[in-house]
Amino acid sequence: MTTRSTPERLDEAVDSLLAGDRPMVDAELRPLLDVSVRLADALRPVPAGRAFEQSLARRLAGEGDGLLRRAARELGRPGRLLAAGALSSAAVGVTVTAYAVWRSTRRAPAVPQRLLGR
Amino acid sequence: MRGRPERGRQPRQREGADPDLAAVHAAQLEPGAFDVLYRRYLDRVYAYAFYQLGDHHDAEDATERTFMAALAALPSFSDRGSSFRAWLFRIAHNTVANARRSRFRRRAQPLPEGFERPAPDADPAGLVARADELREVLGALSELPDERRQVVILRFVDGLSAAEIGLVLERSPGAVRVLLHR
Repeated sequence: MTTRSTPERLDEAVDSLLAGDRPMVDAELRPLLDVSVRLADALRPVPAGRAFEQSLARRLAGEGDGLLRRAARELGRPGRLLAAGALSSAAVGVTVTAYAVWRSTRRAPAVPQRLLGR
Repeated sequence: MRGRPERGRQPRQREGADPDLAAVHAAQLEPGAFDVLYRRYLDRVYAYAFYQLGDHHDAEDATERTFMAALAALPSFSDRGSSFRAWLFRIAHNTVANARRSRFRRRAQPLPEGFERPAPDADPAGLVARADELREVLGALSELPDERRQVVILRFVDGLSAAEIGLVLERSPGAVRVLLHR
C-alpha cells in the first residue's frame, strides 16, 4: 500500500473544500486546512462589471464577424489559393534544382568509360 | 444575447473530461458561438486578473486582451494535452505577466481605491467592510513570491486543479502541490 505525501493529501482536502464539503483530516493536516479555509473565504469571486461585460461581448462579436468575413473572402477567391499553391511549388522546384546543381559540383569529375577503353 | 451563468466560484471539473469541448468545437466552426465560452469564463478570468493586478481597470484591460487573443487563436486549439480552461488561463497568465512588466516599467504601484461597483441598493457599511477586506487580501497576496501567488489564486479563486495549474505555469502537478503546501 502506498503512503501519500502531505501535499497530495492537502490537495485532496482542498478539492473537497472547494466543492463545498468539510473534509475530515488528521491532526497533521488540520492547521493547513484551517489556512485553506481562511484563504477560500478571503479570496471570494470578484465579478466583472455589467457594462464591461456587455461592451466586451460586442467587441468579441464584431471580431468573430471579421474572422468569418475573412474566411469567406478567401473561399470566394480560389484564384488566390491557386496562385499561392503555384508559388509554393515553384519555390520547392527551384530549391531542389539548386541542391542538385550544388551536389553535382561537389562530385569528382568522372572519366567517361568510353575514353578509358581507348 | 445570452445571460451570464451563475456568478461566483464554479464547481470543479473532473479530471480527464473537458466539459468545454463541445462549445469549443462549435466556436471553431462558427466564431459567434464563442459567446458561450466567454460568458462561462468571464468572471473567473476577470477575478484572476484582478487578484494579480489589484486594479479594476488593469483587470478589465487584461481580461479583454485575454478573450480577444483566445478568440483569434481558437482555430488552432487542440484538446490533446490540455483542457480549454487550462489553455485559456495560460493566455490570461501571459497577458497578466505582460501587464505586470509594463506596470513595472511605468513604476506605478496602483493599489485599489474603489474595489466594488456598488449595486444601487448596496449597504454602504458592508461595501466599506468588503473594500477593507479586499485591501488586506491584496496586500497579503502581493507579499507572496510570484509563483506561489499564482498557485493560490488559480486554486482558490478559479478552482483549477493542480494538474491544470501545472499546465498554466509549466510545472508538474507535484510541484504545484508542494507550492500550495508551503
